Amino acid sequence: MKSRRRRGDKQAAASCQPDAHPPAPHSPASLLPSGTARRSSQKKHSICMVSDFFYPNMGGVESHIYQLSQCLLERGHKVVIATHAYGDRRGVRYLTNGLKVYYLPLQVMYNQSTATSCFHSLPLLRCVFVREHITVVHAHSSFSAMAHDALFHAKTMGLNTVFTDHSLFGFADLSSVLTNKLLTVTLCDTNHIVCVSYTSKENTVLRAALNPDIVSVIPNAVDPTDFTPDPGSRDDSKITIVVVSRLVYRKGIDLLGGIIPELCAKHPDLCFLIGGEGPKRIVLEEVREKYQLHDRVRLLGALDHKDVRDVLVQGHIFLNTSLTEAFCMAIVEGACCGLQVVSTRVGGIPEVLPDELVTLCEPTVSSLCAGLESVISRQRSGSVPPPAAIHHQVQNLYTWRNIAERTEKVYDQACQQPVLTLPARLQRLRSHCGAVAGSIFSFMAVINFLFLLFLQWLHPVHLMDAAIDASGPDSCWRKSFKKGKSKDPHPD
Amino acid sequence: MAEEGPFTDISGKPISLECQNYTPFCREFTVSSPKVSLLKVMGYTCSVWLLAYAVFFLTENTTVLSSAIMVTLVGMILHIHFVKVDQETLLIIGSLGIQLSSLYASGRESTTFIEMSKIKDIVINEAIYMQSIIYYLCILIKDPSEPDGVASVVPLFQSSKPRLNCLVRVYKSCQEIIAQSR
Amino acid sequence: MGADSGPGAPPAVPWRKVLYERQPYPDNYVDRRFLEELQRNIGVHQYRYWAVVREAGLAAQQVSCVAVFSHIMVLHGSRRPGTLHPALGQSWVCTFGTLTASVSTDTVYAMSSMMLLAHLVSFPYTQPAPQAVLSLPQRCLALCVLASRLPGALHTFAMLSCALLVFALWPCLLHRLRTGRVELSPGCRPGVHSWVGGLASLWPGGALLLLLALLVLTLACPMLLVHLQRHKDNIHGPVG
Repeated sequence: MKSRRRRGDKQAAASCQPDAHPPAPHSPASLLPSGTARRSSQKKHSICMVSDFFYPNMGGVESHIYQLSQCLLERGHKVVIATHAYGDRRGVRYLTNGLKVYYLPLQVMYNQSTATSCFHSLPLLRCVFVREHITVVHAHSSFSAMAHDALFHAKTMGLNTVFTDHSLFGFADLSSVLTNKLLTVTLCDTNHIVCVSYTSKENTVLRAALNPDIVSVIPNAVDPTDFTPDPGSRDDSKITIVVVSRLVYRKGIDLLGGIIPELCAKHPDLCFLIGGEGPKRIVLEEVREKYQLHDRVRLLGALDHKDVRDVLVQGHIFLNTSLTEAFCMAIVEGACCGLQVVSTRVGGIPEVLPDELVTLCEPTVSSLCAGLESVISRQRSGSVPPPAAIHHQVQNLYTWRNIAERTEKVYDQACQQPVLTLPARLQRLRSHCGAVAGSIFSFMAVINFLFLLFLQWLHPVHLMDAAIDASGPDSCWRKSFKKGKSKDPHPD
Repeated sequence: MAEEGPFTDISGKPISLECQNYTPFCREFTVSSPKVSLLKVMGYTCSVWLLAYAVFFLTENTTVLSSAIMVTLVGMILHIHFVKVDQETLLIIGSLGIQLSSLYASGRESTTFIEMSKIKDIVINEAIYMQSIIYYLCILIKDPSEPDGVASVVPLFQSSKPRLNCLVRVYKSCQEIIAQSR
Repeated sequence: MGADSGPGAPPAVPWRKVLYERQPYPDNYVDRRFLEELQRNIGVHQYRYWAVVREAGLAAQQVSCVAVFSHIMVLHGSRRPGTLHPALGQSWVCTFGTLTASVSTDTVYAMSSMMLLAHLVSFPYTQPAPQAVLSLPQRCLALCVLASRLPGALHTFAMLSCALLVFALWPCLLHRLRTGRVELSPGCRPGVHSWVGGLASLWPGGALLLLLALLVLTLACPMLLVHLQRHKDNIHGPVG
């Protein structure tokens, strides 16, 4: 307790200092006037992003964490990221602009998610939180056991917590029932929750039985400079439909397998370009084999993120067949490259793009075929807007700076809320999560608290060296860069 | 020049740092940990012997007692000869290189020398050690095949594990010498 | 637009459920239409009491069948061993006796009752057919184990044919009854249950237990099911 108060004081002292090093936006993608960034709230946070999913793993959550962190750094906050070790990559690494990443040696269980025992990650996470003077713990993705653990520990340590949910979930099957129970327990005393779409908010509120007022909707963003149209690289003698997604059931690859033969039979000048890898690749290969479409259906396999744009610009129409989706980044990327977008009307997708930029269909083969037919006929008649116009319309819809600004407000709000004391937390768990789960997790919370006391005795805070800030108001990187002396005490 | 600071190692035990400036290009840093405490040795010995006596009481086999004596003696010898390091010394000579030596409690000394041409830099790094994250000082060894690469890392003061304030002092002095010798 | 804008004067533009427009509402704004698209208990089958009772009759019938089988077994077991009939002494019948000789009698009874119970649980009540995957092997196994404890080959043979009747042919008949190919449904069910009366002459306590079990199964369990229906709360929420 004593150490916690001391840390709080130090933080307050740090934030009272005039900001000697104003954030210097230097990325070319300056879409908001730089004054917007300066006008931000005075209080600077020390944020720890926790998730099992981070680079070198690739995906939506990973890039979200990275981009959001970069924009928060730019706004003068201190950000560190904690994730589990990826093979050889363990220990402490630094990314662009002093973004510090802790790859903690925790055992990976399944699908890159760590095993959870609620306790074993406490010593290391406590070490990170204490030495970095963390004030807000921001966990990402409900699939990540480490995120749940970190929230649990952060609340035991009296830190403010924010959680971002990136996915939609069902209610009926056994795995969702269990995950939802875990989510209820995790979120019942979390200060603020962020969802990526309104549908996702409704879903999360239902799953975790939350008060909707503490749930904010902040969408994902795409970097429009990465997705610029290039009409020259597509072959206008035929019509190309591009699909870029992981080839898994959730992405509706079985629907795609039904669409391909139907449309290829009707339109001899139609071809498909499919990027991505996954267990459902076999479905597409079978279709290609059965209908002899080797020259018209190209399977590109796994794509690097940097190659996605080069694939997208080769097409006229972007097709998304997802069966469930919280916020579909892919269709924004497709539209940003100037393609006509056809998508299923599921989850948060109807909220993402205005009606003139997307053709929404029901998740059935016939409805998707009808939607594609209408877009193909429009494409033939030349009544579609040029790619540059579409790009211009889309490029300012979702920017990371806007997202970071809104996330900052969430942090401000979360920091104003009190962190529940242990008795209040136990009360909340018991009253909110049902008798059985509530009692079990109350017990866990007490054990966790005792474990924390034990660690405070074993490894007291005054024996831990405070980390030298690489970002935030007291960043030594920025100082040393200013002096022009490249002092890099921590190489990879 | 000798300086004593209120330095501790990462578990809070006091250690002392001694800096010797022979010439502007030659400095010696010695980190000394406290000697083997007699009380601790007696504590361990007593507990092993008591345990052995308890076993003897049940089994009435005298080999237990004699083997307990052997175990404590051999354990102590091994400990002071291979585990317990009293002093770790870093001798840096600007034009020549860096000599690392550690003095064990038994008086055994092990020394390694790294040529300056092989050394890329000396840095403070962070590592995950047991269940905590610590700072440590290390020498980066150049990769002969590519000039900017790092072939390996030699950690310094591995047994005494000083805290950051001590490391920073050694780091700064070393950087001065390395900067001069280039 | 920010999480901390607070409830000020309500903005003139109505809120829309879209993300591409920057709206003058805070990010944590909750509209009246929140969860409007939530659907509950779609396609839930509403049970009626007597319909459920009628369906439960099938389960009761199967329990009675097992009771019949056990009854026959007990009747056989209580007789003294007779002489071996050479004409019926098929070699495979004789093997039953030695098959489980090394297993104690208690184990045999425990095993067979477990297997009969498993048969009751896994019986395909929705579609009674003789080629049921799980319950047929179980009753066959129970049969083999029990048959080995019979005094002679004649008993064993009689037992086998009886079991074949009850467990293999009876579901065939049931299947035909349900598909409406044979019309004798009203009479047969009381016929099966009347075995309870037969059992009462031999073991009154057992008969009472069976009667109670049948009553609970046909009357009380359906009542419980219908009663619990109102607590059903199935969310078909926005999952996409």
